Amino acid sequence: MTDDTDATDGRHTRRRFLALGGAAGVAGLAGCSAERTGDGSDGSGGSDGDGEGTAGDGGDGDAGDGAGSEGGDDGESETPTLTVATYGAFIDAPSVSPGEWLKEEFESRVDAELEWATPDNEVNHYVERAASGASIDADLYVGLTTEDLVRVDEELDDDLFAAAGDVDGAGAVRDGLRFDPFERAVPFDTGYVSLVYDGTETEAPATFEGLLAEEHRGDLIAQNPGGSSTGRAFLLHTISRFGDGGVAADGDEEAVEGGDGDPDYDYLDFWADLQDNDVRVLGSWDDAYTSWSEGEAPIVVSYSTDQVFADMEGADLQEHQIRFLNDQAYATPEGMAVFADADEPDLAREFMSFMLEPDVQGQIAQRNVAFPATDTAELPADYADLAQEPADPVTFTYDQLQGSLDGWITAWERQYAGN
Amino acid sequence: MSDGPRLRDGSDAPDHRRDRPARLRELLERRALTGLAAATVAILVVVFYYPVGTVLVESVVVDGAATLGVFAAVLRDPFYFGELARLFAGEHPIAVARALLSPDRRLGIVGFTAYQAVLSTLASVALGLPAAYLLARFEFPGRRTLRSLTIVPFVLPSIMVAVGYVATFGRNGTLNALLGAVGLGPVELMFTLEAIVIAHAFYNAPLVARVTTAAWESVDAGAVETARSLGAGPVRAFLHVVAPQVYPAVLMGAALTFVFTFGTFPIVLALGGFELATVEVFVYRLARDLNYAEAAALAVVELAISLSVLGAYLRYEARHTVTSRGVRPLPRRPVLPSAPTARELLSRLGLGVYAVVAALVFLAPIASMVLASVTGGDGGLTLEHYRFLAERQRTGAAFQVRPWPAVRNSLVFAAASALVALPMGVVVAVITTREYRGRKLVDAVAMAPFAVSGILVGLGLLRGLVFGVEVAGWRIAVAGSAAIVAAHAVAGYPFVVRTVAPGLESLDRSLVESARALGASRARVLRDVELPLVWPGVVAGAAFAVAISMGEFTATVVLATGADAYTMPIAIERFIGRRLGPATAMGVVLLVVTGVSFVVIERLGGEYDGI
Repeated sequence: MTDDTDATDGRHTRRRFLALGGAAGVAGLAGCSAERTGDGSDGSGGSDGDGEGTAGDGGDGDAGDGAGSEGGDDGESETPTLTVATYGAFIDAPSVSPGEWLKEEFESRVDAELEWATPDNEVNHYVERAASGASIDADLYVGLTTEDLVRVDEELDDDLFAAAGDVDGAGAVRDGLRFDPFERAVPFDTGYVSLVYDGTETEAPATFEGLLAEEHRGDLIAQNPGGSSTGRAFLLHTISRFGDGGVAADGDEEAVEGGDGDPDYDYLDFWADLQDNDVRVLGSWDDAYTSWSEGEAPIVVSYSTDQVFADMEGADLQEHQIRFLNDQAYATPEGMAVFADADEPDLAREFMSFMLEPDVQGQIAQRNVAFPATDTAELPADYADLAQEPADPVTFTYDQLQGSLDGWITAWERQYAGN
Repeated sequence: MSDGPRLRDGSDAPDHRRDRPARLRELLERRALTGLAAATVAILVVVFYYPVGTVLVESVVVDGAATLGVFAAVLRDPFYFGELARLFAGEHPIAVARALLSPDRRLGIVGFTAYQAVLSTLASVALGLPAAYLLARFEFPGRRTLRSLTIVPFVLPSIMVAVGYVATFGRNGTLNALLGAVGLGPVELMFTLEAIVIAHAFYNAPLVARVTTAAWESVDAGAVETARSLGAGPVRAFLHVVAPQVYPAVLMGAALTFVFTFGTFPIVLALGGFELATVEVFVYRLARDLNYAEAAALAVVELAISLSVLGAYLRYEARHTVTSRGVRPLPRRPVLPSAPTARELLSRLGLGVYAVVAALVFLAPIASMVLASVTGGDGGLTLEHYRFLAERQRTGAAFQVRPWPAVRNSLVFAAASALVALPMGVVVAVITTREYRGRKLVDAVAMAPFAVSGILVGLGLLRGLVFGVEVAGWRIAVAGSAAIVAAHAVAGYPFVVRTVAPGLESLDRSLVESARALGASRARVLRDVELPLVWPGVVAGAAFAVAISMGEFTATVVLATGADAYTMPIAIERFIGRRLGPATAMGVVLLVVTGVSFVVIERLGGEYDGI
């Protein structure tokens, strides 16, 4: 008898289960939004099934935000909203990140509300938006690299970013860091990609050639230049050191000469030797740093600020030594630029000036664990004890990277992974 | 309960005296299947075929002109196709065959990817079958919980697996500590093909085990007893009665494993290194550098190879359906034999060896991960990473990712997407088990969500859904929770198809025909006759759909445009910093939430002969 009841109940549940499924399917279709594409009034259609998608105050830039900021032009005295796009770690790293402090400080100094947007594809997200004809939904991007700009300019015919124009304080930016020849991106900080090594296990070599020594066989972990920015910086550093052997030159362009002065030995030769000496090229910085931390190899390609973090968590600094090969490190300046179709271009430029103020520069450097972009930054006197800068920073300019970067990486991939 | 009597009224009443609601209901019922099929197609088109199409089309349309040049270049490139590229370039097949047999042949990236996928499949089957034997044939305390927990590896993000693997198989890992304790030299497993193959087995052996266990449990004890009574020895009875019913499931597990490992991506570079780069690594790089034409061409090649393998399996499945009702499952044996015979002892010894290997491959990495979550920067034990989670939950800014909303969203999306995936999967299973020409093609195409490059699916969703489509001056966009649920359902429904279709195929057609002859609508037959008979498969598919949703990253991160729709895998990714502690702590939360969910689901579902 009881069995019978159970069976009926079970079947009943099944039916409800399936019916619920159908209902959920309909709800799934209901998450659409519609927006007039012309300049006319904004219309917005149905909201999400359960409202969660639009409840956030983050970069939820679908229909609602555009309407809100345009409303400001109609004379409503609302606080203007500045939407700042950036990469995730800038606002939400587990250790420290400048996002929260910057938002509070900016809002206390300027009558505006700051919203962060952190799409997973970072600046590619906005390239895609522009290419698809969708609205940009952000006012400026924070965290542009030289390679980003090269890629954006190659992909899009129209400008994604506007010229910086008059930004107070931009004059204080150090000369070596200005990477945009068209003066759209204004640098706000920089990092240096160097070697980090465990001093209790080995003494890292002073030169690139030293990495090829038998005693350093299997000692180095680097990252995939096609997928990781530290990996890319290290590859570019080897090109700067050994030259590109004319790999990317298509006729009119000249080969990059290496700092080693040997025209017959280029970066691909160096990498062939490095591969013979058992270098490990892993996917991301996380992969590499995890393996290095677990003692798989004593040297890793990372940032020259490593000791700042090590100190923060009370680790033995002897295990976190920095080495600048040939007294050099590859500089990776980060810039900010206003989107060409920003809703709040003036406010965006005000934010850029804010980012360059001496106290803010100091805070960004400390909270992003990097180096300020200006000469006038206010930093604690002992900051340089742990955050080390190379005697001789190297970096490729926009013009050098343009037309070459892809060829350099492809040639490296084909040599390194050919099987 | 309540609709039971009403249904009876409906079918028993003389048909010309029905009231309007009853007629409406009947109409709805007759149209139900068609309606569900239409809804399924609509969801697939909106959140899969159209978005993915916007990306794949770039391989044949360059600068607005149709071309096959990109494909030709990829196919003729020895970097991708090794010696086979010469075949595509027009060289004589015999010359190419000779080159392929020579010792210094080049496989190319595609060839290597297939090679490691084959090895990974073999390893997954080798590690999965003993587990199926143990779970299907033996009784021991905690068997059902163990079976529920076999789904857990499925949902772990690759960075977590990488952390666990380095800590287990690394130079200073658990394995070498164990070997050192018994006086054996250290083994260097990291950064080798073996490391990747073992990690792939970690993900996929449980899949093989689950599908095989289900098939094994549905072998009718009567058939085995008949064979034995006719004089067949235990080995012969196994080979002729049990094995034929288990093969298709093993092959299904193998085919799915091949497809999943053929499209593998982050784990290869985390544990192997760039020498072992697979096709997907290049799809990622090319897409990141906005070289969509070549990225899409490579993805189409990937898709073609994966679908061919699935197609081959589906042909096999169609030909080898064993019509059987698991009326009485084989009795389980106790793990500790009551009367030890040589045979009994041998099988226990085998299981013992397997238990050691399984502990090393499955448990040790998970244990290492848990250990990493309670290890501080100085190497001592600490709860600081969990305190970080609590702290972030309490004081995190609104735009930051917090743990509890991630857990809640994951659970809600998993439940909702399973509810969407179930009807989708069942309808597709019904459609593909009907007799008509080309149904296997439909079946293979329906499996496409398994086989398309995840990176390009993400890109397609961004273009097709988040940015929207312009129709008559309106831009229609879909994002947020609803879109995430739909995308998860699309990613999970092929599992429902694969677990339900074999059952439907093996059902006696006369059951359906008599029910139809008695006036039941097609939907009614499905609901009241067919589904109850294949219910274990339905539940099994739902379990996989839930697991897929819990672990999904690529589509979720694209569609969670606001800060409020993130899930546990996204929280883990956000918490990865220089220290892995916070991310591993969140990983353990994912582990526990998933584990508990599955134990609860399968307890509530009761004992069934499912996967």
